[in-house]
Amino acid sequence: MPALPPLASLAQLENSPSTDDGLPAVLEEDLRAYGCKLIHQAGILLTQKQVAVAAAQILFQRFWYVSSMKHFGVGDIGMGALFLASKLEECPIRMRDLINVYDVLLQRAAHTIGPKADTPFKYHPMSYFGTAFYDLKESLVVAEMQILKRLGFNVHVVLPYGTLINYLQVLGLIKQENACTKAWGYLNDAFQTPVYALYQIPTIVCAAILLTIRHLNISLPSEAPNCWWELFDACWEDMWNVCGYIMRLYRERPEAEQKRVLGLVSKKDVRRWLEDNVPDK
Amino acid sequence: MSTELNSQGSSTPSRKRSKWDEDDDTGDLSAPTQIHLPKKRPKHKTSRPHSERKSSSPSPSPPPPPRYNHSVYVPPRTRHPAIQSSRSVYCYERLNQIEEGSYGVVFRARDKQTGDIVALKKLKLDEEKNGFPITALREVYALMSCRHENVVGIREVVVGDTLTQVFVVMDFIEHDLKTLLTNMPSPFLQSEVKTLMLQLLSAVHHCHSNWILHRDLKTSNLLMNNRGTIKVADFGLARRYGDPVGVGGMTQLVVTLWYRAPEILLGAKTYSTAIDMWSVGCIFAELLLNEPLFQAKGELELLSMIFKLLGPPTKNSWPDYFILPNAKTITLPSPQPPAIRPKFPHLSMAGIDLMMSLLTYDPEQRMTAEEALQHPYFTESPLPKHPDLFGSFPSAAAGEKRRKAFDSPSAPVRAADYKLLTEYDIP
Ligand SMILES: Nc1ncnc2c1ncn2[C@@H]1O[C@H](COP(=O)(O)OP(=O)(O)O)[C@@H](O)[C@H]1O
Ligand SMILES: [Mg+2]
Repeated sequence: MPALPPLASLAQLENSPSTDDGLPAVLEEDLRAYGCKLIHQAGILLTQKQVAVAAAQILFQRFWYVSSMKHFGVGDIGMGALFLASKLEECPIRMRDLINVYDVLLQRAAHTIGPKADTPFKYHPMSYFGTAFYDLKESLVVAEMQILKRLGFNVHVVLPYGTLINYLQVLGLIKQENACTKAWGYLNDAFQTPVYALYQIPTIVCAAILLTIRHLNISLPSEAPNCWWELFDACWEDMWNVCGYIMRLYRERPEAEQKRVLGLVSKKDVRRWLEDNVPDK
Repeated sequence: MSTELNSQGSSTPSRKRSKWDEDDDTGDLSAPTQIHLPKKRPKHKTSRPHSERKSSSPSPSPPPPPRYNHSVYVPPRTRHPAIQSSRSVYCYERLNQIEEGSYGVVFRARDKQTGDIVALKKLKLDEEKNGFPITALREVYALMSCRHENVVGIREVVVGDTLTQVFVVMDFIEHDLKTLLTNMPSPFLQSEVKTLMLQLLSAVHHCHSNWILHRDLKTSNLLMNNRGTIKVADFGLARRYGDPVGVGGMTQLVVTLWYRAPEILLGAKTYSTAIDMWSVGCIFAELLLNEPLFQAKGELELLSMIFKLLGPPTKNSWPDYFILPNAKTITLPSPQPPAIRPKFPHLSMAGIDLMMSLLTYDPEQRMTAEEALQHPYFTESPLPKHPDLFGSFPSAAAGEKRRKAFDSPSAPVRAADYKLLTEYDIP
C-alpha cells in the first residue's frame, strides 16, 4: 500500500491564511487558478512533461493552505513549484530557462493591463548579468525551499490518469473516444482548482466521469444499491463538490474581474491591494 | 507530521455539505452552467471542526446520510495526513553524535515534547547551484514513500535557523548491522540469517514496488533494533525509476564498491532493480561469513574476485556481457566452475541456490525480491527464528559501548565524486 498523499484538513479548508489576512475568498480562488495557469503555460513553453506540470500544480495548491498571498506571490511560488516538481519527476529544468519563461509570461500579462494594451506585445529579454535576473534566481531558490518547508517536505503526489483509464475500462467506456477525451479534459481543468489538495483521486476521477456522462447523455446505473461510483469507493456528496469546483471554472465573468488577477502576481501587488481595499483590522 | 491524521470526524469537507444536502441528488447536470455553484459561507471564528459542522447545518438538521464503507483501497479522506509545515530542530534536544567522518552527520536526540529518542540526520545542502539538491530530495522522498516495517521510519523533516539546515528525523535504531557483525563473537545462526534475509527482502520488494531503487544496500546501511528487526536506512543514493525504465544517463557512480553489481562495473548505461538484488546477495554472504564477501581495493580486483567465485561469464550465463562498454578492455580468465559451494560449506542446497540466483551475472535473469521471498530456503529446516528470540546487544550508537567498526569504503557520492552526482544531466 503506497503512502497516502496529504490533503487539507477541514480546519485548513475553512480558514486559509490568505483569507485570514483579509483577502476575499473569491480573489484567492482566482489567484490560485491564475497561478496554475501560469504553471501550465510555462510547462508548455519549456516542453516539460505533463506529470511534472501536474505535480507542480498540486504542490502549488497545497501551499496556500499553509501560507498567505500577503507573504508569497503566486508567480514566485508557481515557478518554485514547477522547479521542484521537475526534480521530483526526474526531469529537472534549468533555472535560467524557467526564469526566462516566467519573465515572458509576466511581461505579457503586464502588457495586457498596461497603458499600451492595444498595441502588439513585444518581449524585452533581460540581461543575464543584470540585477533582475539575479533577483529572480534568488526568489526561485527561496520559493522552492519555502514550498518544501511549508509542506513539511511531504511532496508526495498522486496523479489521476492511470485511475481514469482503469475506471473507464471497468465502466465499458474506454472505447468511446469522446468520453475519454472529455473526462481527461475535466481532470486537466481540475488542476486549476484546489480539489487535488482536498479529495482522494478516486473521488476526483469519478467526478470527471460524472460530468462526462451527463454531458454526453450516457446512462450508467445510478439507483441505490447499484450506483456506479460506489464501485470505486467514491461518495456522492464529495463527488458533487468536486463537480462544483470544476464547473465554477466555466462560469461567465465580467472582464474586469478576469483581468484583476493579472496585476496581483507578486506579494507586493497583493499587499498594495489589501491596503487599498481592506480597512485596517 | 505525516503520521498525524486530520482531526475531523467526517470524511468530507463540510463547507458545502449543507448546501448540497438540500439539493436533489439527481438534479440536472447535463447543462454545465446550471450547476449550483458552491456558496462561500461567512467565516466562523471557531476553529473546532465539530462544532463548525453543527453550526452550518440547516435546522432542523437532517439525519446524516449513511456513510459509505470504504474498501481498503480507498481510505477515507480523514486517513490522509494533513498539510503540515516543518517544525524547528529546536523541538529536539541533542544527545550524542552517532556517526562521524562520513558525508552526513547523524545525531541521537530527544523529542522535547514526547521524550522519544530519535535519530537526526543533517542533509548536505551547501554549495548548491541548482536550488535544493536533487539527491537530498530523493532521500527524503524515498523515505516518505517507502514506509514499511523493515524500512527505517521517518518521523518528520525539521529545519534550523537558515535555509541550509535541514534534518531528517527518524526512529532511533540501536545498531547497524556492520558494527554488530564486527563485534559479534560468532556468526548469526542459519535460522537468524533466514529471518534477517526475509526482512531485508520484504523491504527491498516494498521499495521496488513503489518505484524506488535504493542503490546503496550494504550492512552499514542496515539498522537493527533489540527486537531482532532489520530496518533499511540511508536512502542517500535512492531514486525513482520507471517510465522509461533505466533512464539514459543514469549516473554510473552508485553503490559502494564491494556491493556493486557487475553490470555497473562493466559500464552499463541503464540498470534497474537487479542492482539492488546483487547487493542483497552480497549481504546474504556477509551474514553467513561474518565478513564482507568481496573485499576488493578497486574495480578490477573486484571483477576478478567475482569471476573467481562464480566462474567467468559466458554467452549463456550473460548474453549481453560482450556488448557492454568495458567488456572490450577486460580479458576473461579461462573458464572455471563456480566456487560457491566450498566457500559456504554449511549452507544447504537450497541456500546455495538462493545465493547463486541473487549473484547471477545477467541482470535480466537475476532473481527479484518477490521471487526470493518465495524461495524454498526459507521453508526448509531450520525455520526462520522469531525476531523476539534474538538476543539483545549493547548499542554502540547509543554510546553504550562505543567501538568503531573497521572502515569499509563508502559509495562514491561521499568522496570527490559528490559533484558528479549532484550536477544532474540536463538535456
Ligand atoms: N535511524 C537511525 N538510528 C540509529 N542510527 C542511525 C540511524 N540512521 C543512521 N544511523 C547511523 O548513522 C550512520 C550513517 O547514517 P546514513 O544514513 O547511512 O548516512 P551516510 O549517508 O552518511 O552513510 C549509519 O550507518 C548508522 O550507524
Ligand atoms: Mg550510510
